[in-house]
Amino acid sequence: MAALKKTQTKSKGISFRKPTATSLPFLLEIGTEEIPTTFFPQVLQDVLALGQQLFEESRLSYHTIRTVGTPRRLALLVDGLQAKQSSRTQEVIGPPKSASFDASGAYTKAAQGFAKSQGVPVEQLTITETPKGLYLAAKKHERGQSAKQVLISNFPQYLARLTFPKSMRWNASQAKFARPIRWMVMLLGNQGLKIEFAGIRSGEVTWGHRYFRAKGEKVVQGVTLTNAATYVAMMKKLGVLVDPDERRVKITAQIAALVKSAKGQLDPVNCEELIEEAVWGVEYPHSILGTFQKEFLALPKSVLISSMKEHQGFLSLVGKDGKLLPKFIAVTNMPWGNTKLITKGNERVLSARLKDAQYFFQEDEKQPLHERVSALDGIIFHHKLGTMSQKVERVRDLVGWMAKTLDRDDLKDVCERAALLSKADLTTGMVGEFPNLQGVMGEEYAQHDGEPHNVCQAIGEQYLPRFPDDHLPTSLPGKLVACADRCDSIASFFAVKMAPSGSEDPLGLRRAAYGLVRIIHETALRLNMVDVFEHILKILAKQGVGQNDPKTTADIIGFILDRLRFYGRNTMGLRDDVMEAVFSVRPKHAVDVGDLLVRAQALQVMVSQLDFEPLMIGFKRAHRIVEKESWHDTSVLPERFQHDAEHQLFRILETAQQDVTDCVTKQEYAGALQILLTFKSSIDDFFAAVLVNDPEPHIRENRLSLLTAIDRLFLNMADFSCIQSAGTEIG
Amino acid sequence: MRGAVAGDQAASAIKSSVVTFQEIILTLHQFWKSHNCILTQPYDTEKGAGTFNPATFLRAIGPEPWRAAYIEPCRRPTDGRYGENPNRLQHYFQYQVVLKPAPADPQDLYLQSLAHLGLDPYQHDIQFLQDDWESPTLGAWGLGWEVRLDGMEITQFTYFQEVGSLEMNPVTVELTYGLERIAMFLQEVDTVYDLAWTEGVRYGELYHESEIQWSIYNFETADVDMLQTSFDRYEQECQQLLEHPRGLVLPAYDCCMKCSHFFNVLDARGAISVAQRTGYIGRVRNLARKCAQAYYDQRERLGFPLLHQNVPTSNKTIRKKMVRGM
Repeated sequence: MAALKKTQTKSKGISFRKPTATSLPFLLEIGTEEIPTTFFPQVLQDVLALGQQLFEESRLSYHTIRTVGTPRRLALLVDGLQAKQSSRTQEVIGPPKSASFDASGAYTKAAQGFAKSQGVPVEQLTITETPKGLYLAAKKHERGQSAKQVLISNFPQYLARLTFPKSMRWNASQAKFARPIRWMVMLLGNQGLKIEFAGIRSGEVTWGHRYFRAKGEKVVQGVTLTNAATYVAMMKKLGVLVDPDERRVKITAQIAALVKSAKGQLDPVNCEELIEEAVWGVEYPHSILGTFQKEFLALPKSVLISSMKEHQGFLSLVGKDGKLLPKFIAVTNMPWGNTKLITKGNERVLSARLKDAQYFFQEDEKQPLHERVSALDGIIFHHKLGTMSQKVERVRDLVGWMAKTLDRDDLKDVCERAALLSKADLTTGMVGEFPNLQGVMGEEYAQHDGEPHNVCQAIGEQYLPRFPDDHLPTSLPGKLVACADRCDSIASFFAVKMAPSGSEDPLGLRRAAYGLVRIIHETALRLNMVDVFEHILKILAKQGVGQNDPKTTADIIGFILDRLRFYGRNTMGLRDDVMEAVFSVRPKHAVDVGDLLVRAQALQVMVSQLDFEPLMIGFKRAHRIVEKESWHDTSVLPERFQHDAEHQLFRILETAQQDVTDCVTKQEYAGALQILLTFKSSIDDFFAAVLVNDPEPHIRENRLSLLTAIDRLFLNMADFSCIQSAGTEIG
Repeated sequence: MRGAVAGDQAASAIKSSVVTFQEIILTLHQFWKSHNCILTQPYDTEKGAGTFNPATFLRAIGPEPWRAAYIEPCRRPTDGRYGENPNRLQHYFQYQVVLKPAPADPQDLYLQSLAHLGLDPYQHDIQFLQDDWESPTLGAWGLGWEVRLDGMEITQFTYFQEVGSLEMNPVTVELTYGLERIAMFLQEVDTVYDLAWTEGVRYGELYHESEIQWSIYNFETADVDMLQTSFDRYEQECQQLLEHPRGLVLPAYDCCMKCSHFFNVLDARGAISVAQRTGYIGRVRNLARKCAQAYYDQRERLGFPLLHQNVPTSNKTIRKKMVRGM
């Protein structure tokens, strides 16, 4: 029995026979109700992968395979599908030979059991050589089935594996799909194959564009497909461009023509995104040019674009001066409709939307932002953290402190004013209607109220960057408000023990920290994060939230460093070990985000130099000795030197100490590290010439102090022991 | 069929004069009656959407077949604009159709109904845009679309997946027509108040003053204490009714609707902070869930009567005995 347990099924040497029958084109079309545009193109990739997997596992070869689709159909197109499955001979390994025969040479129970399990007469078992020795084996021959049979029996279970971001049930089958399936076509060559999936039987009848009637027909009729190979062409005749690339080309050409006729240019904002959405939203595109009343151009551009883009999916147009034109382009699904009527309808919808926006805009402007600040008392920031007013108060305090710390007392008032007004637009009707315009509307209304220019700009820039590679604030007040707002959110939630854990980050703190790191590093702000967070925790504590304890600060700093690693790795290509080497020697009470990255960058350059590895051999030897002896003294007495090599090393150290300090002050870390490289030969000579463990204690101690001084100098830059040598380097 | 309806049918529905608001309702009644829907009536309790009507919320629950169509006045206090905005109202009308089990051709039926209103799908651009519907207060969600007619949203089209936190089996499909939108499109007017309700009477004459008064009430004068107390008391009442030995599910569900409405007014009144919001919604959802479960249990005890009534699920004549069975 022991032998039987070990029996492993291993397919070995699958032999494909050349197809005996000819190859055939294959088509699977799944007709659905409108699948969300956001599911594309992923769903087509999934169907493709599913087809490839099915054919491979079913031993059916093919020339080409691809998927095409529209909101109403997903189609798998295969060219040259093997009409018959390859036959194969499979060798299944059984018990070892030693366990298969008894003393008399007869088959043991193990051998008989194996033969039975494989459905092979025991005398047909063979003996095969494996790396583990001789084993009993069963050779099984499987005759290839026709592709038709294989497809019919395999497709339903493969289709059932398709998943979507959200799926639904709609009929008695209880099957789940993106949207209801209404028909399926499966053709192999010119033969329809019958399968059933999700309660729908496949056939040969497809449906064209929902609103495309053949000449003389009153209604759209189902059409029988006769050949899998002509699917794309046939669907075109039924008013459907199944190939998304073809739709994209058509949309682009239509838009180009309309833009030309409008004597404008396409507004580059979100234009690609909208075209992509249109590609997956229609079966046959027809783009139209519409206009809106010029008076709406008085609305802020961002409001106009939001109304067109977010609500209607319209593309906006600009004139040569870059200003919006009172025009838009919409991609419809109706080339055979009444274009005039359709255009008029779309114009009316936009006009109603803009009238709405105008209403909000005019209402909002009646009350200046500074009068709205008190209403923030009624908006809860978070139930554990009080109101938005309290948040504004903290941000205002922090941003003033930051300006002072950066020796920009001249901007303190501007920063504080911007912070005070920063969230007031949350109480406006426009932001209620278009939440994504928060900040943007604040800037707009602040300008209307006659606030100073840099205050307005800072309000507008506070949410930048809105997404990982978005642009950054450009003004210093903007940068500081953006940083202060983020630092406050991070500190606040850490203070009430709501730090992100695992993959969960419902409050978006990782994103906030990432934005913070970007602003600080890319705009070269020099803020000590420890001071920043201690300052907010103090304010929070005053407001009765959390405690200003060192543990919370340490947790936050750890979190920030983690985002810093992520940023260094992804945008600067920094190695983890290099960053670790730098981060681990940072002073306890200072985290200068930008400075750490500059240091790591310089170190990474040094690490890749030829001299680095040899230097490390000597340095690590010195470091080990210092560590082993726990030596802390760095007072070296040159008169105790016994050898030139000692003098030489000491001379280098003395010059280097001053030069390195100079470089570090100027943030010239590359220069500092280059100086360290000059130690290489002297360290080597030192170890070649002398033994540290001299029998004379004062000679020994003097040597230890020399090495300790060198070790300190190196550690001032980085913990080189973190660096993985080239041999073990990963990535 | 998978295509739209015949053009000639559409043409016949177009009148020489404008289609009035009440004709739109009548046309939809006629259409859905011919597709075997029971023309139930609006429910006499304030509600934010036709989905709250027991003819949708409760009837969607359980295995019994159901086809109904009705007009529903809806109240959305926060949408009030003192009668000054051409498109926003705190009180408006939905036309609601529920089909259970969902038939195999709901989109076609819907497009045919549009053609009957004079909206020829072969002339316009009608698109089905993804819209994942969710009602946190009802513990309900479904997938479907918002239907856009030449860019204007005119209908919500939803396959219910869960109602009152109960999984739908069979699935109900819900069509919610925005009557004012459709009428404004058909009559080519730019403000809802200019709609012809019937010849010679405008929508504004019937509802403009009420928009002003209700906006003032909802935003400025509604008694917050009274509303909060009412919410609490109806919540209590709902719980008590559910525990009543006779199983007073239907009155209990009325209380749940009341709570939802009081919450909406409190919200418009600005009396609910962001933090309290979730709490209130959760309380209503909790009631809705209990009502849904209690309703299911009650129908189950009755042996799901409509299962045995030969309720037509397609275009056959409704039998009188079914109506009696209600």
